[in-house]
Amino acid sequence: MSTNPILKISKVSRTFGAIQALKEANFEINEGEIMGLVGENGAGKSTLVKIISGFDPGFKGSYQINGKEVKFETPSQAEESGIAIAQQELSLIPNMSVAENIFLTGAKVKKFATLNTLAKMARPYLDEVGLTEVDPTTRINLLSVGEQHLVEVARLISREAKILILDEPTAALGEAESRRILEMVERLAANGKSIIYVSHRLDEIFKITKRITILRDGVSQGIQETKDIDVNKLVEIMLGRELANMFPSKADHISDDPKLEVKELWPDGVLEPVSFSAFKGEILGLSGQLGSGAGEVLASIAGALQSRSGSLTLNGETFLPKSPSHAIKKKIAYCSSDRKKDGLFLGRPIFENLTSPALGAISKYGFNFGSSEDNYSKNLAKEFLIDVKRMHDESGLLSGGNQQKVALGKWLSIKPDVLLVNEPTRGVDVGAKSEIYQRMRELAARGITIIFASTDIQEITYLPDRVITFYRGMMIDEHRLEKIKTPLILKEITDPFNETNL
Amino acid sequence: MNAIIENNQLPFSAKFLQFYKDRTLLAILLSLFAVMFIYGIFFTENYLTITNFKAIIRDAALYGIMAIGLTFVTLSGNFFLLSLKETASICGVTFAMGMATGFGSPDLAGNFLVSLLAALAVGVVSGVIQGYFVGMGGNPIVVTLGGAGILYGIGAWWSDNLVINFTRPHDAEWLGTGSFLGLPSITWSFILIAIAAEIVLRHTNFGRKVYLVGANKAAGKATGHENFSMAIIVFTICSVCCAFVAVAFVAQMDSAQSNYFSAEFGSSGDMTILVIATVMVGGNSIMGGYGSTLRTSLGAIFIAMVDNMMVLQGFNSGPRIVGVGLMIVFSIIVFGLFAKGSRAQE
Repeated sequence: MSTNPILKISKVSRTFGAIQALKEANFEINEGEIMGLVGENGAGKSTLVKIISGFDPGFKGSYQINGKEVKFETPSQAEESGIAIAQQELSLIPNMSVAENIFLTGAKVKKFATLNTLAKMARPYLDEVGLTEVDPTTRINLLSVGEQHLVEVARLISREAKILILDEPTAALGEAESRRILEMVERLAANGKSIIYVSHRLDEIFKITKRITILRDGVSQGIQETKDIDVNKLVEIMLGRELANMFPSKADHISDDPKLEVKELWPDGVLEPVSFSAFKGEILGLSGQLGSGAGEVLASIAGALQSRSGSLTLNGETFLPKSPSHAIKKKIAYCSSDRKKDGLFLGRPIFENLTSPALGAISKYGFNFGSSEDNYSKNLAKEFLIDVKRMHDESGLLSGGNQQKVALGKWLSIKPDVLLVNEPTRGVDVGAKSEIYQRMRELAARGITIIFASTDIQEITYLPDRVITFYRGMMIDEHRLEKIKTPLILKEITDPFNETNL
Repeated sequence: MNAIIENNQLPFSAKFLQFYKDRTLLAILLSLFAVMFIYGIFFTENYLTITNFKAIIRDAALYGIMAIGLTFVTLSGNFFLLSLKETASICGVTFAMGMATGFGSPDLAGNFLVSLLAALAVGVVSGVIQGYFVGMGGNPIVVTLGGAGILYGIGAWWSDNLVINFTRPHDAEWLGTGSFLGLPSITWSFILIAIAAEIVLRHTNFGRKVYLVGANKAAGKATGHENFSMAIIVFTICSVCCAFVAVAFVAQMDSAQSNYFSAEFGSSGDMTILVIATVMVGGNSIMGGYGSTLRTSLGAIFIAMVDNMMVLQGFNSGPRIVGVGLMIVFSIIVFGLFAKGSRAQE
């Protein structure tokens, strides 16, 4: 192994408005090396990846390839230097064949080429990623998701990429498919490619990487030799000091009468039916990574996702919500993880957003002449610390944090018994985060049962009174109050069956 | 308006600028009105007469009423009802059939109420069916284009492509050619429908839902306002407006034919294009969630003014249709440049 890194980034900083995503971060990778890149959500991983792959030219600092200073303005310039990225969302065209997808840009292909020619040209690349048995003339949508990831990588290799960035390639995959990806990564490294492997799955990081770069709050925490550290040490470096003072104190005790009982709920994306109950006035956290099923369970309680079976019991009534409006009638409010997609009416004023779930309550005989709506929305705004003077502004003009407050605050208008929140603080700055946590705790103290799902391990450790962990579509365990410890939860959501040591 | 009220302490000129900034689209439309008006006064003969203005509003009324109906569809994010003229066509044929034959029973022949209700019922049925398919997730363009073919075909088949005549005096004259307090009945209908539509949009839960669903269907579903029932209601409103206009037009002509709304309608030929132009010129967002029926009404009057001026200047129908087409293109460009609303993604 050469001692000179093929790619070296030093003292790179990047700011977005008031938020500093990267602070003098360092990164390097050698030829033929697999470098792990880890950090919690918002630590700056994706920003760093974007800088490396040329999507984000607006950074400060030094970026060297083979010892030469480079400056990429576009991703295609980075590609010419041999850097390619496989995004989490695939960019394949589902209705075209494997071979056509690999040579989509048309480089290296003659003006007229039959599918057979393309298939022959594609063969070596497919072999290299381990798709030896796949016919290059097959259409992409007939392959499994894992195989599609492999095709995507084959495409990158066909463009003579030397440095490959894999951004959470296994996030949406099951065990067997993940293993194929890992095998491919090792094979490519053996062939001399450098691979930057970004993943939340610590077991994979330990299996395949030689070294690990850890980011925390935009600062690189030094490069660790994988063989020198263990999971606990890695987590400690990832999280750093405790941020406990950002969070309100927990409930004194948890009441024993269940408010909401979930029985045998079985939405898509979950392997087996899930049953649990939530108590009055508690905050219950569902912890799990993307695709673990925690978010799916939440959505199906709210009627936003169909469940194959099961029932809910709330206030003595047993039912299974068929649609969001059904759940809303039963006083179940659901704040989804993507506020831009289905949380907010971005083009409409804030007050309309705040009263949108409760139009019946602010009107008489279907008519609404504003005064009761004004009071209603102003009270909600005050409660959630939204600027009352901005009530008539479009909600799309607000910052992420304020948008999230509106997305959450609007649900108070239906006076919910159960408040479900998926990712309460995604894309929200630290100040607003703390306000949202405070507000959630106050609502719980008022007797509302709050259930939230999160991939943010700090949030899961410090906010809820009880935690239920999920791993790849299965419910793993349940913890109460002081038993909630970060390493334990992290282990349960990344590697509950000790696969790391297999 | 609230943004403006808060700026009470500002001098007038600053307030004017603020208004211009806040409501660019409306301001552009009003400025164009002023330019048209001044040009008309100085360069067009017979422009500044009461008869001429009555003619303008009368023209505007026919497609204005349909455009108000279409505004509900567009605001709710369901694009357009492309079977506007075909809906009007079959409803017109239905009304004329009722007036001429009483649908086979001579006792009912010439009975205005029965014919009117029959025409409106046809409008309701076609609106509900098309709305149902759109609400189930069908693409509104495709569904209503299909609907257009079917509705036109049924109307032509039923009437054997013949002109259905009924003779004066008949019970529908008051609506077709009658007037009240110096204004034609159809103009009064336009005014009343425009006021009612604006009240519904501004001050009812249904109106609010139209805007919310139009701004974001997914968020609408998540807050319990589904597009399924919304699509059925807005398409029905639009179809009923078409039916009403058809009845008024047929009452004026004393006859109906399935081609009336493609060729002979108004002065600018094709009715569907004219109505869509009205909604667009008013500055309503094609994507939904932004606009109002007041804008549509202004758009109708604006188009009628332009058309009127071209008539007075001696243009025949060809250039006038080109004018309507240009107005659609122009309004889309202006909207793309200045629109806020649902385009504020970040």
